[in-house]
Amino acid sequence: MATLQARDFRERSPLSHRHAGATLGGLGNAVIVARYGADDQRAQLQRCALLDLSNLARVGFRGAHSADYLRQRGYQLPQAPNQALTQTDGSRVARLSQNEYLLLGSLHDAGGRIAEEERAWQFGATANYLLPRQDSHAWLLLTGAHCAEVMAKLCGVDLRAQAFPPGAVAQTSAARINVILINLAEGELPCLQILCDRASANYFWDALLDAMAEFGGKPAGVDGLL
Amino acid sequence: MKIMPCPLNGPRNISEFSYGGELKQMPAPTLCSDAEWAAYVFNSDNRAGVVTEWWLHNASSYWFLAERHTVTDEIIRTFDPKELFNQRVDFAAPATLEEASV
Repeated sequence: MATLQARDFRERSPLSHRHAGATLGGLGNAVIVARYGADDQRAQLQRCALLDLSNLARVGFRGAHSADYLRQRGYQLPQAPNQALTQTDGSRVARLSQNEYLLLGSLHDAGGRIAEEERAWQFGATANYLLPRQDSHAWLLLTGAHCAEVMAKLCGVDLRAQAFPPGAVAQTSAARINVILINLAEGELPCLQILCDRASANYFWDALLDAMAEFGGKPAGVDGLL
Repeated sequence: MKIMPCPLNGPRNISEFSYGGELKQMPAPTLCSDAEWAAYVFNSDNRAGVVTEWWLHNASSYWFLAERHTVTDEIIRTFDPKELFNQRVDFAAPATLEEASV
Protein backbone atom coordinates (compact mmCIF):
# COMPACT_ATOMS: atom_id res chain seq x y z
CA MET A 1 0.00 0.00 0.00
CA ALA A 2 1.34 3.41 -0.91
CA THR A 3 2.11 5.69 2.01
CA LEU A 4 -0.18 8.68 2.42
CA GLN A 5 1.45 12.08 1.93
CA ALA A 6 -0.11 15.31 3.17
CA ARG A 7 1.00 17.15 0.02
CA ASP A 8 -1.22 14.93 -2.11
CA PHE A 9 -4.31 16.38 -0.47
CA ARG A 10 -5.84 19.75 -1.17
CA GLU A 11 -6.82 20.29 2.46
CA ARG A 12 -3.70 20.35 4.59
CA SER A 13 -3.11 21.23 8.21
CA PRO A 14 -0.96 24.35 8.72
CA LEU A 15 1.27 21.96 10.67
CA SER A 16 1.50 19.27 8.01
CA HIS A 17 5.20 19.91 7.38
CA ARG A 18 5.87 19.49 11.11
CA HIS A 19 4.75 15.87 11.14
CA ALA A 20 7.96 14.43 9.67
CA GLY A 21 8.35 10.77 10.49
CA ALA A 22 4.70 10.30 11.32
CA THR A 23 2.46 7.62 9.87
CA LEU A 24 -0.61 9.29 8.37
CA GLY A 25 -4.13 7.98 8.15
CA GLY A 26 -7.05 9.07 5.98
CA LEU A 27 -9.64 11.47 7.39
CA GLY A 28 -12.39 12.31 4.93
CA ASN A 29 -10.69 14.31 2.17
CA ALA A 30 -7.56 14.92 4.22
CA VAL A 31 -5.02 13.12 6.37
CA ILE A 32 -4.27 13.06 10.08
CA VAL A 33 -1.29 11.82 12.04
CA ALA A 34 -2.05 8.24 13.08
CA ARG A 35 1.10 7.64 15.11
CA TYR A 36 4.78 8.36 15.47
CA GLY A 37 7.07 5.33 15.27
CA ALA A 38 5.85 1.79 15.77
CA ASP A 39 5.14 1.89 19.51
CA ASP A 40 1.74 2.05 21.08
CA GLN A 41 1.34 5.69 22.09
CA ARG A 42 -1.32 5.19 24.76
CA ALA A 43 1.19 5.69 27.58
CA GLN A 44 2.41 8.90 25.94
CA LEU A 45 -1.17 10.17 25.61
CA GLN A 46 -1.80 9.46 29.30
CA ARG A 47 1.37 11.28 30.35
CA CYS A 48 1.56 14.33 28.09
CA ALA A 49 1.01 14.53 24.34
CA LEU A 50 0.11 17.04 21.65
CA LEU A 51 -2.05 16.15 18.64
CA ASP A 52 -2.93 18.15 15.56
CA LEU A 53 -6.66 17.87 14.80
CA SER A 54 -6.72 20.80 12.37
CA ASN A 55 -8.09 18.67 9.53
CA LEU A 56 -11.11 17.63 11.58
CA ALA A 57 -14.29 19.59 10.83
CA ARG A 58 -15.40 22.54 12.97
CA VAL A 59 -17.87 25.34 12.42
CA GLY A 60 -19.66 28.06 14.37
CA PHE A 61 -23.15 29.53 14.46
CA ARG A 62 -24.21 32.83 15.95
CA GLY A 63 -27.48 34.67 16.27
CA ALA A 64 -30.61 35.00 18.35
CA HIS A 65 -32.07 31.86 16.73
CA SER A 66 -28.93 29.72 16.62
CA ALA A 67 -29.89 27.77 19.74
CA ASP A 68 -33.29 26.81 18.28
CA TYR A 69 -31.67 25.88 14.97
CA LEU A 70 -29.09 23.64 16.60
CA ARG A 71 -31.64 21.97 18.87
CA GLN A 72 -33.73 21.17 15.81
CA ARG A 73 -30.63 19.60 14.26
CA GLY A 74 -30.37 17.31 17.26
CA TYR A 75 -27.67 18.96 19.35
CA GLN A 76 -27.65 19.22 23.11
CA LEU A 77 -26.57 22.73 24.04
CA PRO A 78 -24.67 23.90 27.13
CA GLN A 79 -26.76 25.80 29.68
CA ALA A 80 -24.48 28.82 29.99
CA PRO A 81 -21.77 30.63 28.02
CA ASN A 82 -18.24 29.26 28.34
CA GLN A 83 -19.45 25.69 28.79
CA ALA A 84 -19.19 22.72 26.43
CA LEU A 85 -20.91 19.37 25.98
CA THR A 86 -19.90 16.16 24.24
CA GLN A 87 -22.73 14.81 22.09
CA THR A 88 -23.71 11.15 21.95
CA ASP A 89 -21.86 10.69 18.64
CA GLY A 90 -18.64 12.22 20.02
CA SER A 91 -19.06 15.65 18.39
CA ARG A 92 -18.75 18.60 20.75
CA VAL A 93 -20.62 21.86 21.18
CA ALA A 94 -19.04 24.79 23.01
CA ARG A 95 -21.09 27.84 23.87
CA LEU A 96 -18.86 30.87 23.45
CA SER A 97 -21.34 33.60 24.34
CA GLN A 98 -25.05 34.10 24.88
CA ASN A 99 -25.75 33.44 21.18
CA GLU A 100 -22.62 31.84 19.74
CA TYR A 101 -21.85 28.14 19.42
CA LEU A 102 -18.76 26.31 18.19
CA LEU A 103 -19.21 22.78 16.86
CA LEU A 104 -16.24 20.41 16.85
CA GLY A 105 -16.25 17.21 14.80
CA SER A 106 -15.71 13.70 16.07
CA LEU A 107 -12.93 11.34 14.99
CA HIS A 108 -15.49 8.52 14.93
CA ASP A 109 -17.19 9.90 11.81
CA ALA A 110 -14.13 11.81 10.54
CA GLY A 111 -15.99 15.04 11.30
CA GLY A 112 -18.71 14.16 8.80
CA ARG A 113 -21.68 15.39 10.82
CA ILE A 114 -20.14 18.80 11.50
CA ALA A 115 -18.87 19.21 7.92
CA GLU A 116 -22.45 18.54 6.80
CA GLU A 117 -23.70 21.32 9.11
CA GLU A 118 -21.51 23.82 7.27
CA ARG A 119 -22.83 22.58 3.90
CA ALA A 120 -26.47 22.47 5.01
CA TRP A 121 -26.71 25.99 6.43
CA GLN A 122 -28.56 28.54 4.33
CA PHE A 123 -29.00 32.23 4.83
CA GLY A 124 -32.62 32.83 5.69
CA ALA A 125 -35.07 35.00 7.55
CA THR A 126 -34.07 33.85 11.02
CA ALA A 127 -31.08 35.25 12.88
CA ASN A 128 -28.72 32.29 12.57
CA TYR A 129 -25.43 33.03 10.90
CA LEU A 130 -22.68 30.66 9.84
CA LEU A 131 -19.17 31.23 11.19
CA PRO A 132 -16.72 29.22 9.08
CA ARG A 133 -13.90 28.09 11.37
CA GLN A 134 -12.03 25.53 9.26
CA ASP A 135 -9.62 28.05 7.73
CA SER A 136 -9.50 30.55 10.57
CA HIS A 137 -8.46 28.29 13.43
CA ALA A 138 -6.07 25.43 14.03
CA TRP A 139 -7.22 22.72 16.43
CA LEU A 140 -4.76 21.09 18.81
CA LEU A 141 -5.34 18.50 21.49
CA LEU A 142 -3.26 18.51 24.64
CA THR A 143 -3.68 15.25 26.52
CA GLY A 144 -2.61 13.63 29.74
CA ALA A 145 -2.14 14.23 33.41
CA HIS A 146 -0.12 17.43 33.07
CA CYS A 147 -2.45 19.65 30.98
CA ALA A 148 -2.92 22.24 33.71
CA GLU A 149 0.78 22.38 34.59
CA VAL A 150 1.78 22.80 30.95
CA MET A 151 -0.76 25.57 30.38
CA ALA A 152 0.22 27.34 33.62
CA LYS A 153 3.50 28.19 31.90
CA LEU A 154 1.71 29.86 28.97
CA CYS A 155 -1.58 31.21 30.24
CA GLY A 156 -2.86 33.39 33.09
CA VAL A 157 -6.14 31.55 33.69
CA ASP A 158 -6.27 28.91 36.44
CA LEU A 159 -6.87 25.66 34.54
CA ARG A 160 -6.48 23.27 37.49
CA ALA A 161 -9.31 20.78 37.96
CA GLN A 162 -10.95 22.61 40.88
CA ALA A 163 -11.20 25.87 38.91
CA PHE A 164 -11.64 24.47 35.40
CA PRO A 165 -13.77 21.30 35.59
CA PRO A 166 -14.74 19.09 32.63
CA GLY A 167 -17.06 21.01 30.33
CA ALA A 168 -15.45 24.37 31.10
CA VAL A 169 -14.41 26.75 28.31
CA ALA A 170 -11.91 29.61 28.58
CA GLN A 171 -11.40 32.19 25.86
CA THR A 172 -8.12 33.76 26.74
CA SER A 173 -4.54 34.42 25.75
CA ALA A 174 -1.88 31.69 25.82
CA ALA A 175 1.70 32.25 24.75
CA ARG A 176 0.44 35.72 23.78
CA ILE A 177 -2.05 34.60 21.15
CA ASN A 178 -5.80 34.28 21.49
CA VAL A 179 -7.03 30.77 22.17
CA ILE A 180 -10.20 28.90 23.01
CA LEU A 181 -9.53 26.22 25.63
CA ILE A 182 -12.12 23.49 26.15
CA ASN A 183 -11.84 20.87 28.87
CA LEU A 184 -13.50 17.85 27.28
CA ALA A 185 -12.01 14.38 27.65
CA GLU A 186 -11.62 11.83 24.86
CA GLY A 187 -13.31 8.93 26.62
CA GLU A 188 -11.33 8.51 29.85
CA LEU A 189 -8.33 10.49 28.67
CA PRO A 190 -8.10 14.00 30.17
CA CYS A 191 -7.79 16.50 27.32
CA LEU A 192 -7.68 20.16 26.56
CA GLN A 193 -9.07 21.05 23.15
CA ILE A 194 -7.21 24.13 21.97
CA LEU A 195 -8.26 26.37 19.08
CA CYS A 196 -5.88 29.09 18.00
CA ASP A 197 -5.28 31.36 15.03
CA ARG A 198 -4.40 29.10 12.11
CA ALA A 199 -1.64 31.37 10.84
CA SER A 200 0.05 31.23 14.25
CA ALA A 201 -0.20 27.45 14.59
CA ASN A 202 3.49 26.80 13.87
CA TYR A 203 4.59 29.20 16.56
CA PHE A 204 2.05 27.87 19.03
CA TRP A 205 2.95 24.23 18.32
CA ASP A 206 6.56 25.01 19.26
CA ALA A 207 5.54 27.02 22.32
CA LEU A 208 3.44 24.11 23.58
CA LEU A 209 6.13 21.49 22.90
CA ASP A 210 8.64 23.66 24.72
CA ALA A 211 6.33 23.95 27.74
CA MET A 212 5.63 20.19 27.61
CA ALA A 213 9.29 19.16 27.51
CA GLU A 214 9.78 19.06 31.28
CA PHE A 215 6.83 16.65 31.59
CA GLY A 216 8.15 14.34 28.88
CA GLY A 217 5.55 15.61 26.44
CA LYS A 218 5.73 14.67 22.76
CA PRO A 219 3.61 14.89 19.61
CA ALA A 220 1.34 11.91 19.11
CA GLY A 221 -1.22 10.55 16.66
CA VAL A 222 -4.88 9.68 16.87
CA ASP A 223 -4.48 5.88 16.83
CA GLY A 224 -4.23 5.81 20.61
CA LEU A 225 -7.52 7.73 20.92
CA LEU A 226 -9.69 5.38 18.92
CA MET B 1 -0.77 42.68 36.33
CA LYS B 2 -3.95 44.72 36.34
CA ILE B 3 -7.11 42.64 36.28
CA MET B 4 -10.34 43.56 34.52
CA PRO B 5 -13.56 41.66 35.29
CA CYS B 6 -15.13 40.72 31.93
CA PRO B 7 -18.91 40.25 32.18
CA LEU B 8 -18.69 37.19 29.91
CA ASN B 9 -15.33 35.62 30.77
CA GLY B 10 -14.60 36.67 34.33
CA PRO B 11 -11.46 38.32 35.70
CA ARG B 12 -8.66 38.51 33.12
CA ASN B 13 -5.35 40.24 32.59
CA ILE B 14 -5.81 43.75 31.23
CA SER B 15 -3.57 42.74 28.30
CA GLU B 16 -6.46 40.64 26.96
CA PHE B 17 -8.57 43.77 26.42
CA SER B 18 -8.67 46.67 23.98
CA TYR B 19 -10.06 50.11 24.73
CA GLY B 20 -12.93 51.17 22.50
CA GLY B 21 -13.56 54.80 23.42
CA GLU B 22 -16.13 56.63 25.49
CA LEU B 23 -19.76 55.65 25.44
CA LYS B 24 -21.58 58.46 23.64
CA GLN B 25 -25.19 59.09 22.76
CA MET B 26 -25.55 58.85 18.98
CA PRO B 27 -27.44 61.79 17.44
CA ALA B 28 -30.11 60.86 14.89
CA PRO B 29 -27.95 60.37 11.74
CA THR B 30 -30.49 61.78 9.28
CA LEU B 31 -31.64 64.73 11.43
CA CYS B 32 -28.52 66.09 13.12
CA SER B 33 -26.18 68.72 11.68
CA ASP B 34 -22.74 67.91 10.27
CA ALA B 35 -21.17 69.57 13.29
CA GLU B 36 -23.15 67.38 15.67
CA TRP B 37 -22.21 64.25 13.73
CA ALA B 38 -18.55 65.25 13.57
CA ALA B 39 -18.55 65.89 17.31
CA TYR B 40 -20.02 62.43 17.86
CA VAL B 41 -17.49 60.70 15.62
CA PHE B 42 -14.29 62.59 16.42
CA ASN B 43 -14.50 64.41 19.74
CA SER B 44 -13.97 63.03 23.20
CA ASP B 45 -14.96 64.48 26.55
CA ASN B 46 -11.76 63.25 28.22
CA ARG B 47 -13.33 63.89 31.59
CA ALA B 48 -11.48 63.46 34.89
CA GLY B 49 -13.71 61.25 37.00
CA VAL B 50 -15.95 58.27 36.51
CA VAL B 51 -16.64 57.60 32.82
CA THR B 52 -18.37 54.80 30.91
CA GLU B 53 -16.23 53.27 28.17
CA TRP B 54 -16.37 50.54 25.55
CA TRP B 55 -13.91 47.68 26.03
CA LEU B 56 -13.28 44.58 23.94
CA HIS B 57 -12.19 41.20 25.24
CA ASN B 58 -9.91 40.24 22.35
CA ALA B 59 -9.98 36.47 22.73
CA SER B 60 -13.76 36.26 22.55
CA SER B 61 -14.46 39.40 20.44
CA TYR B 62 -16.88 40.47 23.14
CA TRP B 63 -17.70 44.18 23.53
CA PHE B 64 -18.89 45.41 26.89
CA LEU B 65 -19.09 48.58 28.94
CA ALA B 66 -16.94 49.55 31.89
CA GLU B 67 -17.27 52.33 34.43
CA ARG B 68 -13.77 53.54 35.21
CA HIS B 69 -12.32 56.41 37.21
CA THR B 70 -9.92 58.14 34.84
CA VAL B 71 -7.83 59.64 37.67
CA THR B 72 -7.33 56.57 39.86
CA ASP B 73 -7.76 54.08 36.97
CA GLU B 74 -10.06 52.09 39.22
CA ILE B 75 -12.57 49.89 37.40
CA ILE B 76 -15.85 50.35 39.24
CA ARG B 77 -18.18 48.12 37.25
CA THR B 78 -18.32 46.24 33.97
CA PHE B 79 -21.56 45.19 32.34
CA ASP B 80 -23.12 43.76 29.19
CA PRO B 81 -24.24 46.44 26.69
CA LYS B 82 -27.70 44.83 26.64
CA GLU B 83 -28.35 46.79 29.85
CA LEU B 84 -28.45 49.96 27.76
CA PHE B 85 -29.03 48.71 24.21
CA ASN B 86 -32.18 46.68 24.49
CA GLN B 87 -33.82 47.39 21.17
CA ARG B 88 -32.73 47.19 17.59
CA VAL B 89 -31.69 50.40 15.81
CA ASP B 90 -32.30 50.40 12.06
CA PHE B 91 -30.53 52.86 9.80
CA ALA B 92 -32.47 54.08 6.80
CA ALA B 93 -30.26 55.07 3.86
CA PRO B 94 -30.82 58.60 2.54
CA ALA B 95 -33.14 58.51 -0.46
CA THR B 96 -30.99 60.70 -2.71
CA LEU B 97 -27.43 61.99 -2.86
CA GLU B 98 -28.68 65.58 -2.46
CA GLU B 99 -30.32 64.66 0.77
CA ALA B 100 -27.12 63.05 1.97
CA SER B 101 -25.03 66.16 1.27
CA VAL B 102 -27.36 68.64 3.01
